[in-house]
Amino acid sequence: MRIFLVLSLLILSGCAAQTASITAGGSQVALRQIQTREYNTLDKRGTLRSVVATLQDLGFVIDKADYELATISATKLQNYEIRMTVTVRERDSERLAVRASARFNEKPIEDPNAYQDFFTSLDKAMFLTLHKVD
Amino acid sequence: MKKYRIAPIALVALALGACATLPEDAFRLSESALELRQLQTREYDGVTDIQILSASSGVLQDLGYAIDEIEKELGVLSASKRASAEDPTEIAGMIALDMADCLLTFFLGCENESYKSAKDVQDIRLTLVVLPDPDADNTHSVRVTIQRVVWAKGGALHSQETINDAEVYQAFFDKLSKSVFLEKEGV
Repeated sequence: MRIFLVLSLLILSGCAAQTASITAGGSQVALRQIQTREYNTLDKRGTLRSVVATLQDLGFVIDKADYELATISATKLQNYEIRMTVTVRERDSERLAVRASARFNEKPIEDPNAYQDFFTSLDKAMFLTLHKVD
Repeated sequence: MKKYRIAPIALVALALGACATLPEDAFRLSESALELRQLQTREYDGVTDIQILSASSGVLQDLGYAIDEIEKELGVLSASKRASAEDPTEIAGMIALDMADCLLTFFLGCENESYKSAKDVQDIRLTLVVLPDPDADNTHSVRVTIQRVVWAKGGALHSQETINDAEVYQAFFDKLSKSVFLEKEGV
């Protein structure tokens, strides 16, 4: 019976520290930086297609895709659930900014390494878009 | 007796599920990513992206899917359906286990726990993406990715997974190829 007590405590206490929501202005800016990458291209279509291809490579299924609003939403199921939204917008006259935000099961992902991994995967797909010869 | 064997496992699963941490490789390309991409992709020439999308929605309708999303600017189509996930062999096995449990506990443990854990229905979702070949006119690659959530008889989540079975994709593309041909011929 002791094991029940221990496990119950684990369930009750285990998540208590992970419910912090992002309210402070500072962390909001920091989170945006973690979630955003800039690319030296204005090819919105090529960038969005690279995002879709990367999401497929990572095992996501696309929930929503909108070219005009440059927004892609996708879900990955692998005995866990990740829901991700990626937006593309013009940063300046030469660059596009790609922002990704994701949640893992019920929690938003704030780990910089996760986004780093995503953009490393996206970089590979973006290679052709970035080096397209017109 | 079975209840007491399952309860600690269920609690551990609950603890892990509630507080699970993001797997390190969740956003990393796996070593099999290229291989998977190949079995999920086919090329079609002599057809426009719109013809492929039309042919695809035709096949999906044939297979009982509902189209959830189409964005033709990006060649993206998503669809879903609910289907039976029942496995007669599994069900027979689970019923036998339940009967054994029932008898061994002298009819105290007859709650059909095993039967309730058997697969019942599945929600299948797929994305199909049509990409133009940058080097050839009217040549497109089509990539399909499929995932499913399986529910148990008792209503609990059984499993959720991405389908990596080559035969499933082969069967889908066989049907799509026929549909693309019909679309091309204007049938």
